[in-house]
Amino acid sequence: MSDASNDAGKVVYEARGLKKNYDGGQVAALRGVDFDIREGEFVAIVGPSGCGKSTLLQMLGSLDRPSEGSLSYRGRLISELDDPSDYRSTEIGFVFQSFHLLPTFTVSENVQIPMFETGLSRSQREVRAHELLESVGLAHRLKHFPSELSGGERQRVAIARSLANRPSVLLADEPTGNLDSENAAHVVELLLKLHRELGMTLVLVTHDLGIAALATRTIRMKDGRVVDESTPLTHAS
Amino acid sequence: MTFFTVVIRGLIRRPVRTGLTLLGISIGIGAVVTLVGMSWGYEKSIGKQLDVIGIDVVVSNMSGGLMPKVFDDTLKAKVAALPKVADTTTVLMLMLSIEDAPMMMVSGREWGGFTWEKLEVLEGRLPKDDKEFAVVLGKLAAEVLKKKVGDTVQIEADELPVVGIVDGHAVVENGAVILPLSVLQEISSNQGKVNFVDVRVPEGTSDKEVLELCETVNGIFPEGRAKPASEVVGTSQGYRLARAMSWSTSLLAIIVGVLGVMNTMLMTVFERTHEIGILLAVGWKRRRILYMVLCESALLGFLGGVTGVGLGALGLKILELTPAIRGLLEPDLSAKLLVTSVAIAVIVGVISGLYPGWRSSRLSPSRALNL
Repeated sequence: MSDASNDAGKVVYEARGLKKNYDGGQVAALRGVDFDIREGEFVAIVGPSGCGKSTLLQMLGSLDRPSEGSLSYRGRLISELDDPSDYRSTEIGFVFQSFHLLPTFTVSENVQIPMFETGLSRSQREVRAHELLESVGLAHRLKHFPSELSGGERQRVAIARSLANRPSVLLADEPTGNLDSENAAHVVELLLKLHRELGMTLVLVTHDLGIAALATRTIRMKDGRVVDESTPLTHAS
Repeated sequence: MTFFTVVIRGLIRRPVRTGLTLLGISIGIGAVVTLVGMSWGYEKSIGKQLDVIGIDVVVSNMSGGLMPKVFDDTLKAKVAALPKVADTTTVLMLMLSIEDAPMMMVSGREWGGFTWEKLEVLEGRLPKDDKEFAVVLGKLAAEVLKKKVGDTVQIEADELPVVGIVDGHAVVENGAVILPLSVLQEISSNQGKVNFVDVRVPEGTSDKEVLELCETVNGIFPEGRAKPASEVVGTSQGYRLARAMSWSTSLLAIIVGVLGVMNTMLMTVFERTHEIGILLAVGWKRRRILYMVLCESALLGFLGGVTGVGLGALGLKILELTPAIRGLLEPDLSAKLLVTSVAIAVIVGVISGLYPGWRSSRLSPSRALNL
């Protein structure tokens, strides 16, 4: 992970005129989006269903390509990266609403999966997975399979996995969407702790305005466009 | 956890389907081992027979089937007169159904010829002379026919007494019914005919001189061929046909195996599209996804190959004991055949995994995740 504290304020993502069309242009998910996200920010992206929040997050994670416009990461166009898998592997961590854990692998193995691209030895991978799972309070669940865990525990495994290769950016797509309020609170607390203690840039898509209120900045979207950017009162001062 | 763990998990997530695919490959490879083992075994058995008897050059007309056509035995004198010929003898060899045995080699040998030399009498005796209407049985032939000294054997329309059981020190010899040439010529209505002139050359004769001798014989016997013993089987049209058939049947089995593994791997890739999307999302490179699918299919091929080799070996052992095969050839179950078969299975696996692997590595992460 890069030393975020030394780069505070630097632009991490820069989007200009970002558009995304599906079905040969018949469906426009993004209709020209502009924004900057700076190092160490906690940005919440909010808006109604279908407004393009998740599409935008997938582009930030290089899981999809824009139809038009530019999106750069630390000054480099994501669409022109030599190997987007390197970027996904080392620069960002992804947390999904439906966890996306591999059902035939144990908790520890799920966390080790991203580490195959980093050249760590088997024992180093195991130690690292153990440390990460300990940090999310799941050291006692190493050998369990995802089907044996609660929703909150699964999301904590997913968070541990997202940190496997020490990324500087965490992209979270409705991380509490499938959780009850108690587990949702734990997961939010964990994400805030990571943002605060590790200085990670956190981009979080959510429907929950309560969670968005904790962010340093909120990007409000509607019909594929950014309609408002605001700094919540909790951070304004 | 290692990368191999990931590969194994991919296979065992659908144990029944993986098991059925393994069974399919095993049967295919088993067929390869059995067919090719028989083909190679035939070549090896004939080669050993020629080696045991001490034949250097075989003159015959192999253009027909597995058994050569007959020709006048007067050729022997012409061959014997050639330089670099130490000894010659004639043989009339026929494949006949004898009593309950569907196919047996019946070998009529020129009395006093060197083809009688290496026969070790286990029971009874050899025929007294070239006129005696009697046979000796190779020890395997005696087992197959369930005959002992004193019994009779019916060849064509004649009943001949068994006067001895012999060990010829080669499977083909031990599986044969052996009798004087003139007797077999008479009972098979082939008077004056033989289908082999076996030649020994003087010690110290070079390979080049043997080839020159063959050329000379071919000049005086244009309808047939003289061949060094080492080349006899390989150049026989009948054997080449049998070998081509065994390999083409094996090829069919291999193609069926390829389609089976490819189907399984495609199904696996389709079912795991979402998982592959996750792997791409967490940073796995496309070539690692391709490598994973190829390793899975190669492992499937390897395991199928190993069990197929076991099945094939079992098949060969069973065939070796059947009356139709017993004594005619010794199936070849060499390390070369086993290693070749497993290698074929692994190659089948890799080839079968190429398309599914390529397809999975081209998936769009976002679309795969949303499936």
